[in-house]
Amino acid sequence: MDPQPEQVAYICGDCGGENTLKPGDVIQCRECGYRILYKKRTNRIVQYEAR
Amino acid sequence: MLIVVNLSPSMAPRIMFLIGVNVLIFQIIWMLTSWMSKLCHLRDAGHKKLVSHKEEATDMGGYFICNGMERLSRLLILQKRNYPMVFYRKSYCSRGDGFTDKAVTIRCVRDDQSSVNLRLYYLQNGSARIGFWVRMKEYLLPVDTVLKALIDTTDREIYVSLTSFYNETNKNAKGSVGTQLVGERAKIILDEQHNLSLSTRLQCLQHIGDKFRAIMHGFENESDIVVGEAVLRDYILVHLKTNPDKFNLIIFMLQKLFSFVDQTSAQENPDALQYQEVLTVGNLLSVYIKDKTSSWLERSRKLIQEELKKKNFKFDDIMHIKKIMDKNTFSIGRSMESMIQTGKLVSLSSVDLPQREGLTIPAERVNFHRFLSHFRAVHRGTAFAQMRTTTVRKLLPESWGFLCPVHTPDGTPCGLLNHMTAACRVSSFYDPEGNIKDFLKIKNIILSTLVEMGMAPLLPKIERAGPPEIFNVLLDGCIVGIIASNVVDKTVANLRQMKIHSAILDDLEIGYIPLSLAGSYPGLYLFTSPSRLVRPVRNNSITSGGVSDIELIGPFEQAYMEIKCPDGGDGGRQDFFPSTHEELHPTSMLSVIANLTPWSDHNQSPRNMYQCQMAKQTLAFGSQALKFRCDNKLYHLQTPQSPIVRTATYNKYCMDEFPSGTNAIVAVLSYTGYDMEDAMILNKSSVERGFCHAHIYQTETVDLASRGVKGDNNVEMFSRGNDKSRKSPLDSDGLPYIGQLINPQEALYSTYNLSTSRIRIKDLKSSEPAFVDSVSADGSSNTNFLNKVNVRLRRVRNPIIGDKFSSRHGQKGVCSKLWPDIDMPFSSVTGMRPDLIINPHAFPSRMTIGMLLESIAAKGGSLQGTFVDATPFARCTKDATSNSESSEIDDLGPLLASNGFNYHGTEVMYSGVFGTELVFEIFIGPVYYQRLRHMVSDKFQVRSTGIMDKITRQPIGGRKHGGGVRFGEMERDALLAHGAAYMLHDRLHTCSDYHIADVCSLCGSLLTASTIQRQKRAVREISGLPPARPSKAYTCHSCETTKGMETVAMPFVFRYLAAELAAMNVKLTLNLNKGTTKG
Repeated sequence: MDPQPEQVAYICGDCGGENTLKPGDVIQCRECGYRILYKKRTNRIVQYEAR
Repeated sequence: MLIVVNLSPSMAPRIMFLIGVNVLIFQIIWMLTSWMSKLCHLRDAGHKKLVSHKEEATDMGGYFICNGMERLSRLLILQKRNYPMVFYRKSYCSRGDGFTDKAVTIRCVRDDQSSVNLRLYYLQNGSARIGFWVRMKEYLLPVDTVLKALIDTTDREIYVSLTSFYNETNKNAKGSVGTQLVGERAKIILDEQHNLSLSTRLQCLQHIGDKFRAIMHGFENESDIVVGEAVLRDYILVHLKTNPDKFNLIIFMLQKLFSFVDQTSAQENPDALQYQEVLTVGNLLSVYIKDKTSSWLERSRKLIQEELKKKNFKFDDIMHIKKIMDKNTFSIGRSMESMIQTGKLVSLSSVDLPQREGLTIPAERVNFHRFLSHFRAVHRGTAFAQMRTTTVRKLLPESWGFLCPVHTPDGTPCGLLNHMTAACRVSSFYDPEGNIKDFLKIKNIILSTLVEMGMAPLLPKIERAGPPEIFNVLLDGCIVGIIASNVVDKTVANLRQMKIHSAILDDLEIGYIPLSLAGSYPGLYLFTSPSRLVRPVRNNSITSGGVSDIELIGPFEQAYMEIKCPDGGDGGRQDFFPSTHEELHPTSMLSVIANLTPWSDHNQSPRNMYQCQMAKQTLAFGSQALKFRCDNKLYHLQTPQSPIVRTATYNKYCMDEFPSGTNAIVAVLSYTGYDMEDAMILNKSSVERGFCHAHIYQTETVDLASRGVKGDNNVEMFSRGNDKSRKSPLDSDGLPYIGQLINPQEALYSTYNLSTSRIRIKDLKSSEPAFVDSVSADGSSNTNFLNKVNVRLRRVRNPIIGDKFSSRHGQKGVCSKLWPDIDMPFSSVTGMRPDLIINPHAFPSRMTIGMLLESIAAKGGSLQGTFVDATPFARCTKDATSNSESSEIDDLGPLLASNGFNYHGTEVMYSGVFGTELVFEIFIGPVYYQRLRHMVSDKFQVRSTGIMDKITRQPIGGRKHGGGVRFGEMERDALLAHGAAYMLHDRLHTCSDYHIADVCSLCGSLLTASTIQRQKRAVREISGLPPARPSKAYTCHSCETTKGMETVAMPFVFRYLAAELAAMNVKLTLNLNKGTTKG
């Protein structure tokens, strides 16, 4: 168990740069200051139904 | 005080109120800008720029965005401005004693677009009354009082003016409108005035001022004459600026009224588009701004007046005045915004609009067709929807070329909600170059041309004749002169030439009503005003090369023009009425949506109407900016195709940007019986390959700041908390993973309360699983951390049994079976299996030949590798050398035959089940199919037990709450008729509000039963006595005994009824017996 809170990767809605944020961080792009961030697609395996 | 309207492009439009040395005392910052208006940054942006700003590349704008909702103002039909119209109304008789049902009405519109109606009522005694509205109340004045108040005039002058249009010599000549009765009526009008003993202008003004002083505000210290003048200025013919003009128009209106009464001219139909115009957004907004500004000023005036009473008030202390003004909290900007958001007009004064609700509507983006038709829709007004008569809904010939006869919904709004044709547009304040029109300049050009052509300018106080010798010339409702009837034809022709050559006159309407026997009142009516409908036609008289021969015409002039239509032959004109104009194409009578139906000229007309409806509810390529949009609900077709068979309009409007269907191989055959009654069989493998796959995108916006109690100690943010377990379905930010499937009652997000350290997990509220499509965090709120997100969910909607499909010819059907590919019939030549099987019975009664043609054409087109043009009426526009007897099939059949297929599109097929050849050749080919948005997954409803209504204890209704389907009166009748008594009892009682009530048989009351306190029994036990017979649990409260208590099964609502009746002091008594009837 790591004591550090997990970070989540976001993509800036304006410049497209990647931002990793901890819970409680300010929602703002570090590069351009844009305030709408999109979450990245998960790296987890998303299991589709195989029929 | 100075009012500055600042419309600088760098900021939102604002209206500022300044006093003195530009001290800003009040300003409206109106953050609401119409998307793509002149102030929009993205106006005239190219496709690339729009895409880079995450907008739709082809967005045309024209709507408002408020609170994330797209809303637009509806085009409403209004009476044509500044044109006096005569018609009957029964209700006119009730205006007072002696009133008849005849009147002439004019809707006068000022330059600022606000309007005031004026009516001239005809009285039984031959006189007339002027009626006008002040603050929603009608006031009546004798016409002569108004005439005399307007200018200094004499009885003789009025008499001569009124009677001038009657000339004995041309008594029964064509176009003669006057009769000898006019003289007597004029006398009556003048006599009435003598009885009032008002003879001079000042007397009349004084009289009017005296009567209206009470309702005119701000004239407390003025004389009666000033008030009278204000009444004339503000309420009588407000579109005219000078009193002589008003005098002349009233005389003209009286003449028209008299001729209408004498039946020398006909009534005008207020339902015909000829006498109508539309209410545009700008019109609505300017009227509302004016109204709100005046009420703001009124409030400010009151505030200052109150302040004036105090002693230490100084007018030059600007800062003090500003302080007073700050008390006026009324915001014009906010009321404008709420008007657009709700579509409701909140106003106490008389804003002269036909309705105060439903002025704006949401621009739904079900698909591009629907979005587009919102902007093309013209509504007659909500008041007409409740009317029992159908006259307003009728399709009238006057709307030809302006309103589409095909594109109107069936059902309640039929004929009230129409759509403009593709070519039709609304005249505006802008000329073709995009500059604001200079109406004064236009007026001067027209006037000088008219005088050149032989019009005698009407100087005040000129006695003049009437039709048929001369025509009155009215320019925007102002009589500008008279013109001799022998030059009027030439004048009109010349004006039309001018109109084509001059850009600023391009939408001038030249309404020339010729002389006729008891037809419409003759005259030359010119209109330059905005908000008229106009459409282009070709002017045949233009022969010189290089000059555009397109003329814009309006519905008023169209009624008196000779316009040739390629499909219409000579239209009964023959040689003595040569056509002067020509339609651009026969399809110019159709709207954009109706124009998209291939070969609609081969279909039965109602089928084309159905198609217009269904095109608007088709699943299509939802939006190109889908990734950046957060509509509440957005439908999206995953595998759209471009139709092989298409009309010219399809290319013109770039419908390929938003394709809305699939080219399906359709076999018309009766196979397996699953295709009966408009059911259709889909090929299971086609569906699995992606045929008509669709998704619904739903966005949930969660703003933690906006909900709950506000305050520092109640701050929430998204977080999973300290839950370290890897099994949690949520990411560590408390939001779901993108691409993850969430089932119903699984976590959608979790929040963490900073003060209470409590973690709340919110589940997905839905009955079906959803994929997380995107999550966007919004940091623009006041708190910086994560507390506002948009979660877009994606729901899969692939075709299943019960989904609705339709071709483009009003042939809708429901999928009844997904049939395995191996069992589908196959073609002997190609081995192809159809995607879709429909029943041949769909064709004989519906006569959608266009669909058969589409199938043949698409087959040929796909063999050839070309798109096929299916523009309706294409044949009649081709030159006369081609054989007029030929039909579309003569082009399509040989194409198929040359490719080795049957001329008529049929193929030999084999049964997929038995492998035997089918007896008949089967009609098979590609047809463009649309998937409609009505899907079972959104509609199915099932319930066994569940939530009950609190009051009645009956099952609730409504799919959302897990309710049932109502078993209503008609269903009860059916069971009764079948004698299914047990079933009936089960449905209506056992499965509903079954209840066992305790009734007192002595008093018959249902409500007096009360529980017994069982203390006595305990006493017996303590004293060692044997337990007595267990007494009943209930006792009657009024009889005070348990003897009569019985249990009776009944519906709970019956008990509720008894309680309700008791509340109204009505006693309900039950007569109990054991199944035998008492005497």
